[in-house]
Amino acid sequence: MSTLHTISKSPKSHLLRECLPLVDKGDGILFIEDGVYYCANNKLSDDFESDITWYGLKEDLNARGLELDDIKAIQIINYKNFVEICEEFDKVISWF
Amino acid sequence: MNKLQKQTFTFISRTAPYGSNRPQLCLDTALAAAVFEQQVNYVFMEDGVYQLLKNQDAKAIHTKTIGKTLETLDLYGIENTYVCNESLESRGLSLGDLVIKPKLTKGDELKTVLNSSDTVINL
Amino acid sequence: MKFTIVVYAAPYSSQAAATAFNFSKTLLDEGHEIYRLFFFSDGAHNTNKIARVPQDEINLQASWDELIRDYDLDSAVCVSSAIKRGIVDEQEAERHELSTVSLFKSSEIAGLGQLIDAAINSDRLLNFG
Repeated sequence: MSTLHTISKSPKSHLLRECLPLVDKGDGILFIEDGVYYCANNKLSDDFESDITWYGLKEDLNARGLELDDIKAIQIINYKNFVEICEEFDKVISWF
Repeated sequence: MNKLQKQTFTFISRTAPYGSNRPQLCLDTALAAAVFEQQVNYVFMEDGVYQLLKNQDAKAIHTKTIGKTLETLDLYGIENTYVCNESLESRGLSLGDLVIKPKLTKGDELKTVLNSSDTVINL
Repeated sequence: MKFTIVVYAAPYSSQAAATAFNFSKTLLDEGHEIYRLFFFSDGAHNTNKIARVPQDEINLQASWDELIRDYDLDSAVCVSSAIKRGIVDEQEAERHELSTVSLFKSSEIAGLGQLIDAAINSDRLLNFG
């Protein structure tokens, strides 16, 4: 059973820290809304573990004018892909 | 209602009582799941552990005292309650401070609970 | 695949309701189904037909209504969330002696059992708050 976790608040919410103890190998974490500021912070993305798949929602990144080039650990996906990965994972847990 | 198979619902309650309606929403939904005879797990973590403190009385702030309802969770068919050990410890609390005795759990055990769940409501 | 979408957030004061809308629209465009939309807590405001929005802004309530009608979706609003926020259908308006019906015809007032039923009968349940 794999889970997609969505995080929708900025890093000041500490949602990633709350969520990580419950994230299993093979799970995915998708940053949406203000959660995409996690993607923008290189200090944070350096720590992104490789046994988790990391995603950032393109529409929310673009809306906020965030640079995407240097984000190697994160897959940038659009809404259509968001729907697709909901199918790939067995369930979705929202962190907000 | 269509076919009502039995599924496993896990509710994660991560927010302190009274400051928002999230603990009540989480509880109300869990009670509904229990009424419909679903398997229910209830997890208290982060500030959610404050919902379990003894001696709550919210009358003066015009709210239902959530601790009182939580005391009787098992009567509503919610027997699988869990509390995150780290959340308790980091707030200087122990099981003796709580109105019920949930199962003390660490990250890995909670992962197992989540992995066995069909639906997770996280508030 | 059958989805249920639960919306906890009011429109305009945060992005979550708009995200839920975009996600719902995209999944329908992609040929998936929505088993039920469930508006809970402040999410009930999304079903308020009385709301008026300046012309240069998106009217999220009207957008939901249109989506629900276009795809003939099952859309439910939690009864206690709705009535507390002044969202009433004809029956509730009558019961509380109110002169106005504020709930879109496209949504129905429902209990939390409808949320549990939706979780059971959907392949995926997503929460937006």
